[in-house]
Amino acid sequence: MSTTVSGAPVVRRVEQVMGLPVSLAFRGRHAGTPEGEAAWRDAVAELRWVDEVFSTWRPDSQVSRLGRGELALVDCAPEVAEVLALADDARAASDGAFDVWLPDGQGGRRLDPSGVVKGWAVERAVAPLLALPGTDVCLSAGGDMVCHTADPEGPAWEVGIEDPFDPTGLVARVPLRRGAVATSGSAHRGGHVVDARSGRPADALAQVTVVGARLTGVDIDATTALALGPDGPGWLRARARTGVVVWADGRAEVVA
Amino acid sequence: VQVQLDVQGSTITNVTVLQYPSGNGTDVEINSYALPQLIQETLDAQSANIDMVSGATYTSGGYLQSLQSALDQVSAS
Repeated sequence: MSTTVSGAPVVRRVEQVMGLPVSLAFRGRHAGTPEGEAAWRDAVAELRWVDEVFSTWRPDSQVSRLGRGELALVDCAPEVAEVLALADDARAASDGAFDVWLPDGQGGRRLDPSGVVKGWAVERAVAPLLALPGTDVCLSAGGDMVCHTADPEGPAWEVGIEDPFDPTGLVARVPLRRGAVATSGSAHRGGHVVDARSGRPADALAQVTVVGARLTGVDIDATTALALGPDGPGWLRARARTGVVVWADGRAEVVA
Repeated sequence: VQVQLDVQGSTITNVTVLQYPSGNGTDVEINSYALPQLIQETLDAQSANIDMVSGATYTSGGYLQSLQSALDQVSAS
């Protein structure tokens, strides 16, 4: 069992949700207690609900039916409109490089809000865990995470940033007490981020990591910077973002 | 952008943004976070005392070989 600087044991849980490994690390008063386990179950249940509504892999999800024009936005859960509004903001901020309406290769567009949903969903799902008194929490869905320490001056969570060319290695590390980290790249799924303006895979950057206060925003900005390619690091700096960019040639750069 | 740098020795340890360009209404945050430190040598997560790994979206196959998977197994075993 790994321990922190202060010696509190880290308790870990992992579950497959939304086709992703969802990993929890917690330590302190309620790590592993019945209250802690109940909060973890609530977090997983929330992610499963999000998957049912938003999955593009499920033909019967509300988002799949909305994308095919079989369901109106007003007939979807109100959270669908909330996510699409976030996507609209991101499209405007990126001059169209980030868009949940992606070219489908046949002259049309298909709805894929995955670039917004994951971070937004984790930020919702972590709420019952953040409510555990005296407990430090880090909840990650497929590498995008919310970190929280009960004591704002307590030992930080130490977050490693994966090497996109070697998933057993790290390119950087960042200590984080209260905040979020998101990484976008093509390491595991092969060019799944496209520049929505051209429909082409975004391949100038191998990986973008953003650190910030709220996961919804840092997740969108990491994906947007990747889609912007060579303009991504400058775009992040203009938004006063902190993070790490790994270029396609393997060069790693801290953005601040 | 006006920033405040915290320096220990020759290493910048923190950057705080004091002013930033007036935005376009999107969610620009005023950041104050420890700067990520690049890792030059190859480290595994446990020797680096890493608690969690941020990486690009894992498929199940990618996850099984990942450091996060190794970390998740620590308390499962």
